[in-house]
Amino acid sequence: MTKIAGPVPPVRDPGRPSPTPGRFASARQFGTVIGLVALSTGLWILTPHFLTVSNLLNVVEQTSINAIVAVGLTFVILSGGIDLSVGSLVALSGVVLGSLLHAGQPLAMALAAALVVGAASGVANGALVSWGGLPPFIATLGMMSIARGAALVFTEGRPVSGFEPAFRVLATGRVALIPAPVIVMVLTYIVAHLVLTRTTFGRYVYAIGGNEEATRLSGVSIRFHKTMVYGVSGVTSAIAAIILTARLNSAQPIAGMMYELDAIAATVIGGTSLTGGEGTLGGTLVGALIMGVLRNGLNLLGVSSFLQQIIIGAVIVVAVLVDTVLKRRR
Amino acid sequence: MRPMRNTLVLVLVAACAASACNRGGATGEAAKPRIALVLKTLNHPFFVDMRRGAQAAADRLGVTLQVQAAEREVDVEKQMQIVENLIQTGIQALCITPSGSREIVSALAKANDARVPVVVVDTRVDEKAAAAAGLRLETFVGSDNYEGGRLAGGYLLKMSGGKARVAILEGIPGHETGDSRLRGFRDAVKDASGVSIVASQPANWERDQGFNVFQNMLQAHPDIDSMFACSDLMALGAIEAIAAAGKTGRIRVIGFDALDDARKAIEAGTMAASVAQFPYEMGQVAVESAVKAIRGEKLPADMKVRLELVTKDNAAAAR
Repeated sequence: MTKIAGPVPPVRDPGRPSPTPGRFASARQFGTVIGLVALSTGLWILTPHFLTVSNLLNVVEQTSINAIVAVGLTFVILSGGIDLSVGSLVALSGVVLGSLLHAGQPLAMALAAALVVGAASGVANGALVSWGGLPPFIATLGMMSIARGAALVFTEGRPVSGFEPAFRVLATGRVALIPAPVIVMVLTYIVAHLVLTRTTFGRYVYAIGGNEEATRLSGVSIRFHKTMVYGVSGVTSAIAAIILTARLNSAQPIAGMMYELDAIAATVIGGTSLTGGEGTLGGTLVGALIMGVLRNGLNLLGVSSFLQQIIIGAVIVVAVLVDTVLKRRR
Repeated sequence: MRPMRNTLVLVLVAACAASACNRGGATGEAAKPRIALVLKTLNHPFFVDMRRGAQAAADRLGVTLQVQAAEREVDVEKQMQIVENLIQTGIQALCITPSGSREIVSALAKANDARVPVVVVDTRVDEKAAAAAGLRLETFVGSDNYEGGRLAGGYLLKMSGGKARVAILEGIPGHETGDSRLRGFRDAVKDASGVSIVASQPANWERDQGFNVFQNMLQAHPDIDSMFACSDLMALGAIEAIAAAGKTGRIRVIGFDALDDARKAIEAGTMAASVAQFPYEMGQVAVESAVKAIRGEKLPADMKVRLELVTKDNAAAAR
């Protein structure tokens, strides 16, 4: 279903839910879940500190920011693109949010402004890709630098710190033990999953990544939908920025550096194909959890941070290698 | 078949992590008190020295030391995660060099909640933020960065006879250490009417940025005759820019940290002076204080570690 050879319109039956994941994707996703379970079991055996309620809540909370950024990247990568600007957009949305809160603006207004800044930057990425004809790598590389610079200019390089408890509750709050960032993450995934599997927009995302030309010939506006895809990525970066700012009680213009790489890693470990058209958000969430559990476990075990980087790098490479090998076998 | 492969791979990774851990000796010594030292980074000579000092004190006092740092120095969020994770392992005390003076407060509050005493090293926690969170900190171990900046400024006045056109390379804006050094330096030279600061920009603690920023400053102000860098790495980068401009020896360079490379540059005459800190001692005092805190002893709010101006006269001796 994913790679269609001829100019056959891939989206002919809009009544069917989620046409794309198919058997391969679910098998792949199952593999990722098993990987997470195996990793957790290993850690449970190795350290008594891993499998405790407080540590598990800890891990999920620590994973939430990367997992939220990875939602947008999953959309972008499914459509066959890439977004390198997400880390900088986290910083830019964050400092806009922080500065407005400091200026005494109402909370709702500051939150909305952060989301609008994220969305607008994402849409600008999308417009450069679809109307400007730039490769996504270049368009978002440019935005990565522009947004980072804008965040620095906006704050004169200084962090904006110290916020009202009413805002910080987004990081410190608990609902029946569950930390607020985790709730935000789960809500983001539910909404994004519904958009991806239950709307025509979602199906077009898969279709564009699977075969852009065929999708165009079937009368779908590629430009509009691609632009929206990058807009989604901007919005999820802004949501992550809100959580990060509340968590650190500070909006830093240098925040979010290299978040793009963590989010890309979570997405590909979760089984989304970098060539587009294949993958699920569930996979991405598990991918993000694998990275979070791995980091947490290596901390608990006292593994040196140099070794940690080697291990995390190896996991990324191996996960994608498994994918490639499986695909060649098919 | 397919899931099997993934499983296999991840089990392998877990096993690899396990063997790494056993080599590190973090397990099996449960009887000794465990102290964590969380650094800004492990790939800067300053923190490598601090770690060595801390380890020496830990060995002497019979405690287990666990050292961790985030992959990137500026990543406070990762440092916060490390603190949260270490608290989970039931450490008895935490020594930390905060990557962000305000941002780290909520992580330290969690240590407070878990009744883990906190010793702050090298970089102060923001006082207002700490007070707002009701933070209890056992002590601060570090140099007086403000005093160090004054020392550098005073030396510049002496050397230049009160007439200088100065450029400054700042650290990452908003970082307490760099800000304090900067304030100290500016305060030391502010009453000298012959000294004017013609440029002051951040080079974010990095050597290559020190090179680029200072090269640009020289373009804009060819008459610069002195420079102060809030860290040696930036100063060493600037020295290369000075050499590239063919001005070696004609610009007085004063750095901070007295790294080995900086001492060599001072001996060679490409650098005038550097303010020495003693990270090895900081590491030692930090662990000693943590052990006292575990025993419930009361510590002074500040434990100052000495500073020293390194010039051509004593560069070789101190090395």
